Amino acid sequence: MMKRTTTPAPCSTSSTLSAQRVTLRAGARTLLASFTHTFYAGEVWCIAGPNGAGKTTLISALAGLTEPSSGQVEIDGVRVADWAPAPLARRRALMPQSAHDAFSASVLEIVMLSRLPYLAGWGWERAADRAAAHAALEMLGLSGFASRDVLSLSGGERQRVALAAALCQDAPLLLLDEPLSHLDLHHQIDCLEVLLAWAGERERTVVFSCHDLNLARRFATHALLLDGAGAAFAGPVRDVLTPTLASRAFGYPLILLQDGGHEALIPAPRLHDTHRGAAGPTS
Amino acid sequence: MNRLSVRTMPVMHAKRAVAIWCALAALTLIVLVASLALGSVPLTPARVLAALLPAHHAQADIAGEIVRTLRLPRALAGFACGALLAVAGALLQVLLRNPLAEPYVLGVSGGAASFALLAMMAGCAWWVVDSSAFAGAFVSILLVLGLARRELWRGEPQDTSPRLLLTGAVIAAGWGALITLLLTLAPDNRLRGMLFWLTGDLNGGGLPWLALMALAAVLVAILPAAPQLNVLLRGDVAAEALGVSVMRLRLRVYLVASLAAAAAVTTGGSIGFVGLVVPHTLRLAFGNDQRMLLPAAALGGGIAVMGADLIARTAIAPAQLPVGVITALIGVPVFLWMLLRRPR
Repeated sequence: MMKRTTTPAPCSTSSTLSAQRVTLRAGARTLLASFTHTFYAGEVWCIAGPNGAGKTTLISALAGLTEPSSGQVEIDGVRVADWAPAPLARRRALMPQSAHDAFSASVLEIVMLSRLPYLAGWGWERAADRAAAHAALEMLGLSGFASRDVLSLSGGERQRVALAAALCQDAPLLLLDEPLSHLDLHHQIDCLEVLLAWAGERERTVVFSCHDLNLARRFATHALLLDGAGAAFAGPVRDVLTPTLASRAFGYPLILLQDGGHEALIPAPRLHDTHRGAAGPTS
Repeated sequence: MNRLSVRTMPVMHAKRAVAIWCALAALTLIVLVASLALGSVPLTPARVLAALLPAHHAQADIAGEIVRTLRLPRALAGFACGALLAVAGALLQVLLRNPLAEPYVLGVSGGAASFALLAMMAGCAWWVVDSSAFAGAFVSILLVLGLARRELWRGEPQDTSPRLLLTGAVIAAGWGALITLLLTLAPDNRLRGMLFWLTGDLNGGGLPWLALMALAAVLVAILPAAPQLNVLLRGDVAAEALGVSVMRLRLRVYLVASLAAAAAVTTGGSIGFVGLVVPHTLRLAFGNDQRMLLPAAALGGGIAVMGADLIARTAIAPAQLPVGVITALIGVPVFLWMLLRRPR
């Protein structure tokens, strides 16, 4: 196994993640232009934006798996490219958008795979690793699934298992690519509550991408809104996921409904009955 | 939720893996002793043991001679060949994330046979023939993986089984045609040796030591990466996020699997389906943890081919069946069953 040169000693349990002048391109299109921002411990970030806006690419770049077109990503002040693989895997976890299983394996074994960065000696998990996997399953209400075959799970169950695996990696920085896309409403809320508690418990950072702006407004502390044309808006969730900014990013008018203490961002009704042709929802 | 799918699976850990290996090693020993004892001259196990002890080498007894110069090399060649095939199969299945990948199905044996026959036609020495077989196996793997998996290096998550299997089958058919052509063109005095090579037997005296050394090299090269292989099965992004250098690991698996398949085919000729049946059976029984599976596949594959060869030379004695016939008779139904019962 090759070791890279610099491996900073983990100085604290919390991590900072910063993007410096990060530019992301897809072909000739600039998705994100010179994005500079720091994500601090204890924050729960939602990355929102239209399809193809670069959410997955950004998450991958923040995790150090994709080299940005220009600029750089730093974790704890060290460029991700300069981290050795195993220590980096102990600092940040990534849950990919989809996992594909071709072979049978128990849910516990799948979750325990996330302990790879902690394995030593002959490469077998120790009791502590097994306990971490059970704890992660427990957190997401999956205790009863430990010995189930992953191939027998539904899409939503599989996604929760993947989330448990990401938590089991026990990194202070958690990057999740659409972790809620296959979940029903109840489980979406459960999972977000778990993530919120998990981030608060030991000053950890969670960054997830999500299409449900209302869930984001309710559970995230901060939001990063991408318009897919180079611009990004970052800040406290209620300052960013506003009708004005969201309408502009998604290219569709949104309005904020308020009812007592509740509020919801909803798409504005199309005005095709009265103003057909005159005031279509153009951006 | 359907009843059938709620299958509980025990978790693999070091102690359980060691127990599995010990059981398989014991079985290996039993099959080895049986291979040495049974045949046209049946011997008692005590006699076999005596023949293997150095003290008896001085005495020129026929039984000892049979065990030492005929049965032992053949059994060892069978073991090494089966072990290499099973490990190659298990590795290709991880690499392509496809439970149906297997050196024989992917046309490796055909490539080896074509090259070997060409060398035999040219009247080359045995070592040139063996080297040609090795090169042919390598070329064939290269061809199939190069054609069917441009994604191999890109690591697409999609399951590309139909394309891969079709490519392998078509390449194998191509080799088959080439082999027929070579046999048609071959001069009569060479034909017998060529047919002999083709049937895939361990009788040619083989080179058990070379194959055993290849087996040791393969295991040393890949076993330390077994934990990473487990993660690789979850997909490239997931593996990369856990600190696995996916590209380097894929290249390593690919080279090791090719080496194993080529060495096996060079030793035993066309012995099919071992790389499919053995890893699959072990997976069904004990799960898919590569740390357990790869050594277990080596032992299981060794047992399978050594056992099949024992059957091949005793079933209708004194006539001998090619060992490839036995493995194919078992392997073809298993392969079809696996292919047809797959979901999607």
